[in-house]
Amino acid sequence: MKRLLALIHREFWENKGAFRTTPLVIGGVYIVFLLMAMFTTAHFDNELYTFREAVRLLAEQPEAFRATHANDVMLGSSLFFTIVLAFVVFFYLLGALYDDRKDRSILFWKSLPASDTLTIASKLLAAMVLAPLIFWAVFVVTQILMAIIASLMVLSVGENPWTLFLSVVNPLKVWLILLVSYLASSLWFLPIYGWLLLVSAFAPRIPLLFAVLPPVVFAILQIWIDFLRTFTLDSSLFGIIGEWIANSPAILTAQVHDGRGTLALGIPLTSDFDHTVTLANIFDRLFSVPMLIGLVVAAVFLAGALWLRRRATDS
Amino acid sequence: MTPIVSARGLSKRYGRTVAVDNIDLEIPPGRIVGLIGPNGAGKTSALKAILGLATYDGELSVLGRNPSRERAALMEDVCFIADVAVLPRWIRVWQLIDVTERLHPRFSRPRCLEYLAQTKVTPEHRVKQLSKGMVAQLHLALVMAIDVRLLVLDEPTLGLDILYRKQFYTSLLNDYFDEQRTILITTHQVEEVEHILTDLLFIKDGRVALQATMEEVEQRYVELMVRPDRAAEARALKPLYERELFGRHIFLYANVGRERLAGLGELHTPSVADLFVATMKGGDA
Repeated sequence: MKRLLALIHREFWENKGAFRTTPLVIGGVYIVFLLMAMFTTAHFDNELYTFREAVRLLAEQPEAFRATHANDVMLGSSLFFTIVLAFVVFFYLLGALYDDRKDRSILFWKSLPASDTLTIASKLLAAMVLAPLIFWAVFVVTQILMAIIASLMVLSVGENPWTLFLSVVNPLKVWLILLVSYLASSLWFLPIYGWLLLVSAFAPRIPLLFAVLPPVVFAILQIWIDFLRTFTLDSSLFGIIGEWIANSPAILTAQVHDGRGTLALGIPLTSDFDHTVTLANIFDRLFSVPMLIGLVVAAVFLAGALWLRRRATDS
Repeated sequence: MTPIVSARGLSKRYGRTVAVDNIDLEIPPGRIVGLIGPNGAGKTSALKAILGLATYDGELSVLGRNPSRERAALMEDVCFIADVAVLPRWIRVWQLIDVTERLHPRFSRPRCLEYLAQTKVTPEHRVKQLSKGMVAQLHLALVMAIDVRLLVLDEPTLGLDILYRKQFYTSLLNDYFDEQRTILITTHQVEEVEHILTDLLFIKDGRVALQATMEEVEQRYVELMVRPDRAAEARALKPLYERELFGRHIFLYANVGRERLAGLGELHTPSVADLFVATMKGGDA
């Protein structure tokens, strides 16, 4: 355990830019944009008349309306964090078992008494837990800062931010749902993470190419053969991966629900799962047959990555 | 005494190429063994097998363990510097010390810092900011602070200037080596290590061409320098190897009594480099 933590710490040191600086920059951008919007409004809006009217109109809405909207806005503003996190994890895993082979530092790491299993576990945990936790924590801090700025703006036009939105939102619930959604998505995407680690352990160079090209070639062949056989363009590897992303427990899109737009888990294209954002629906995906199949696929890929890693040296 | 390394029929093939060909060897504790061979002789392949970095055929036991299956456990008692400059370039010195301390039960932070205090390396340095020589000093400081039974050095001073090279081997010998430890070194700079070695292991075409202690080498081999007019006489005694230097003929003999040669000219103990050249160019020693 002590060694696993040391190795995860090592991953953090190596990837500080991706894991820590990136979310901090996104949070900074959010706040700068909010401030810019504030100053733009103050500049063009004569004595903040329009802003005042908007706040007043909002205050007249029923509390339930304000609550769902404020919660959705809070949760929805995580989208940019989520997408960037996905990219960070993707490229991190692609390099995880490749970079030290390329710069030969694998010869140093292998001179330490840490097994290859432990090394791969540390990299997987850095991608599945460490990176999402940091992104989530920075997101929470960003939201607190934004709530303070927004409250000051509302105060400046004489309305009470507490009754307007602070008392109606449920930040703890929003943050909990986002955190659970991040960690659940890590599990959900384990087969893809396993594939990336396998490629990372295997690729002689340009892991990106090795990660993307085989599925693309495979899917194209599949589509072509299917077309020859059945003259239809049905399921292919693309379809499976697309559906996998669509069914993920990550908050990615909005859907029309009960006659109004709300956030959705994944992309509501199929009715395999309920896409409404609730904890129950997130867990529903984790205890499903597709998740079980995904874990088996992930285990195969990870076993392959381990097999390669045990034989890997600098050449 | 149980040997540190023991191999029976150790072989390594890459496709059709045989890098290590059926080697038997035994390295007892408390020795400094020079593993010496020309490029492509199979030194690195043999070392990689010993360190559990590569698969192999045959029997191999290092400190009683199977290296290919128990690398992680083995690395608690074995340390290696494989070539210079394999430390990760992004890491800071303090992070390197930290991670080594947390992973290695036999690492001593105070000892490492003590060695580093003798260099210009500071904890805040990133490895990529250091010169090649400083990286080698850092790596040696890390390794010397680990109390292991076998230290393997594969070309540890390649590309370093002579000051660093001298200092590297001096610290290794004075501050590190003792009766309990075994050091296995490969290098092309034979002259620099020959005075610290206790054993020689020559490898040629994947086979052991010579394995002997330095005392055995002194007893077994002798070099004779003669004037050209007596060269034929010397040649009749079947030298292993002959070369010419400043008009003198120099012959290298194995197992020929010194008293038989003394009358012909000057006798010397051959240098490891000369013995190496003779072994590689001549027949088996």
